[in-house]
Amino acid sequence: MDRSDGRRKRVLVAMSGGVDSSVAAALLVDQGYDVVGMTMQVWDYSSCDIEEGNGTCCSSTDVDDARAVADRLDFPFYVANCEAKFQAFVIDPFVGAYLEGKTPLPCVNCNTYLKFDHLIRKMRELDCDYLATGHYAKIEMGVGGRPAIVTSTDDWKDQTYFLFTIHPDVVPRLMFPIGHLKKEEVRKIAEEKGLLIARKKDSTGICFVGDKGYSNFIQDQVAPDLFRHGEVRLYPSGEVLARHEGVHLFTYGQRKGLGVATGEPLYVIKIEASTATVWVGAEKYLYQDDARVVQMRWLDDLADGDRVKVKIRYAHKGSWARIHKTGTDEVRVEFEEPVRAVTPGQAAVLYRPTGAASDLQLIGGGWIV
Amino acid sequence: MPFSTLCANGRDANTVYLDHNATTPVAAELAPQVQDWLSAWGNPSSIHWASRKPKLLIREARRSLAQMLNCDPLELVFTSGGSESNNTAIKGVFESLQKAVTRPSDARNHYVLSDVEHPSVRRTAEYLRERGAEVEFIGVDRSGFIDMNAYKEKLSERTALVSIMFANNETGNIFPIQDMARLAHEKGALFHTDAVQALGKTPVDLAALGVDLASFSGHKFYAFKGAGLLFVRRGLQLESLIHGGAQERHRRGGTENVLAICSLGAMAAHAGEIAARGEVMRQMRDEFEARVLAEIPGASVTGGEAPRLPNTSSLILPGVDGETLLMNLDILGFAVSTGAACSSGSPEPSPVLLAMGLSRAEAQNSLRVGLGWGTTPEQMARFLEALKDVVARVRAFPPETSITEVVHGPI
Repeated sequence: MDRSDGRRKRVLVAMSGGVDSSVAAALLVDQGYDVVGMTMQVWDYSSCDIEEGNGTCCSSTDVDDARAVADRLDFPFYVANCEAKFQAFVIDPFVGAYLEGKTPLPCVNCNTYLKFDHLIRKMRELDCDYLATGHYAKIEMGVGGRPAIVTSTDDWKDQTYFLFTIHPDVVPRLMFPIGHLKKEEVRKIAEEKGLLIARKKDSTGICFVGDKGYSNFIQDQVAPDLFRHGEVRLYPSGEVLARHEGVHLFTYGQRKGLGVATGEPLYVIKIEASTATVWVGAEKYLYQDDARVVQMRWLDDLADGDRVKVKIRYAHKGSWARIHKTGTDEVRVEFEEPVRAVTPGQAAVLYRPTGAASDLQLIGGGWIV
Repeated sequence: MPFSTLCANGRDANTVYLDHNATTPVAAELAPQVQDWLSAWGNPSSIHWASRKPKLLIREARRSLAQMLNCDPLELVFTSGGSESNNTAIKGVFESLQKAVTRPSDARNHYVLSDVEHPSVRRTAEYLRERGAEVEFIGVDRSGFIDMNAYKEKLSERTALVSIMFANNETGNIFPIQDMARLAHEKGALFHTDAVQALGKTPVDLAALGVDLASFSGHKFYAFKGAGLLFVRRGLQLESLIHGGAQERHRRGGTENVLAICSLGAMAAHAGEIAARGEVMRQMRDEFEARVLAEIPGASVTGGEAPRLPNTSSLILPGVDGETLLMNLDILGFAVSTGAACSSGSPEPSPVLLAMGLSRAEAQNSLRVGLGWGTTPEQMARFLEALKDVVARVRAFPPETSITEVVHGPI
């Protein structure tokens, strides 16, 4: 626990104000680490006035919740202003992807450019030895003695899908203190420790979109003339079934809200942003047996043709596939069984069984095109 | 001259508090007196026996403070603190003037303040502006001097009130209040000074200063939070901020915070030591600054040329983000400040430093150190070593050049 210079090892904990990261911080305090908490201010909550300010003037209730945990457990806590970065790396690409007919995955960008980049910088600036988060994931010694990212014990909550862009050099400096716990155990610890956030409801969906739904969010972000109206066509005949008000309103596999009434259930099977055409068809057309994946990031080595498990969306349980390297950072994923709704903008994330229980080691991942 | 303060709960003796311009620790000598003060729980405004002790305590406090500040006890109004005193002084003058004339447009309606006032002065003046007042600001240069020529030019027969702080909270710069008050009076204007930072750092003689109104705060003077003072020169008409109470001779409604008032009054017992304690702080501060300038490359002092409070040091440490520095020092147990009002999570540099002509980068690279009566040379030596270490370490990181920069690389 102590460093060579005699002081306790120091951990920067990324705290969102939620149950998971709060318990992660509490566990590290129990384990004797010198804990420093930090919340990223990522979204403009301001009707705030700098001059009139005090410690909490620019903060949401989530920041206050995180601060309350830190004050109660008596460790330093700071707010990092990340609004500009969040806009540039998370919001803008999120909105842009919808306009291109993709279904984006903003949490990965937030991890890539904020949690595991900006906070890594803060970790170094504050002379911390580790960065901890409340992700459901584990760090374990992999083959060759290098720490590897492994799926969490609570496989229902596992969040490794969002972690594939982490740079391998960063992994030895990471801690996921709740990765070996089930969600109900995490809540129990929060209750036992009297953390007021124990009963806070799980954050689901995209943190910045809120209750009004993603399509309203996008409409607030974008000038109306960027929304191109287009046609809903039946695949494969090409018959025009309806008109729509923008491709951002659709996602692959969507069945409801198509503005089409037919006897047979129809699904969105392809979105063509260039012509603003939304193709719908029978469910069988949703299945495909391969996918092209670009901007691959690797956390471990993989030989061409290796057999791995691939998740194509967060809720996907994973399908066995062989990976063929088709370019410097591109692969073709060849599934053993056809998979449903391979969606551009989502990630394909590669795993290899560790041999222990149902644990899977994160190998890498990239973006489906 | 040793001075004992209460330890913050759970903090070990190794922590060092150098943020005395934000608040001071509570004087240890006050703690044993609290039981006695609490027993004076009666309402001071009552007629019956329960009111006697609190009335007596408040009267004693007022008398000792008046003696310390060289004014009449009846000229002191107890408030909740510095911000309330500032609000009362400025709004009170405005409203009294509006009431005194049959046509509001006949009233003097011009207000002059410095560019570096505390928000409780600045924002209050802006509030008056929204209600039709004309408000003008006087600049302060980066050496710490206020622009006296501009001040003289701005004063006129229309000027209702001048509000200039006695000393600035971020740089410690002391302004020539005596001269400025005289110039204001020559034009028939009233003069208010926010003297919140002065108490305990330098002796204050209200008779010599010649001001009409002055604000003070107890918690910057080793007393409890919740009591402050407004000096109102005898005979001055001042509308109350809080209506509906006859307390403080109708100048401040609301039942008195007896406990906090007693603590503030008790601190007046130190009046005779303030000059000497100031010299002790000055010696430590000057030695610290000399070593910072010699041992931290590029370091400079803001407001160093002009007269300053003896306890305050406003440093620019180029290449070191003040907030990062503050966090690092906090983790090591040193409490200092960046000087920005809403620095937590906000990248906005201090408006005071910007007003003094510092660039955004300089303001963001600024650190405020505020010594107190309990500060020791040993603490300052430890702080200097920690500061040098952290500055060297933080400077070793390349600055973030743009928001699109990505760190990935060797850890």
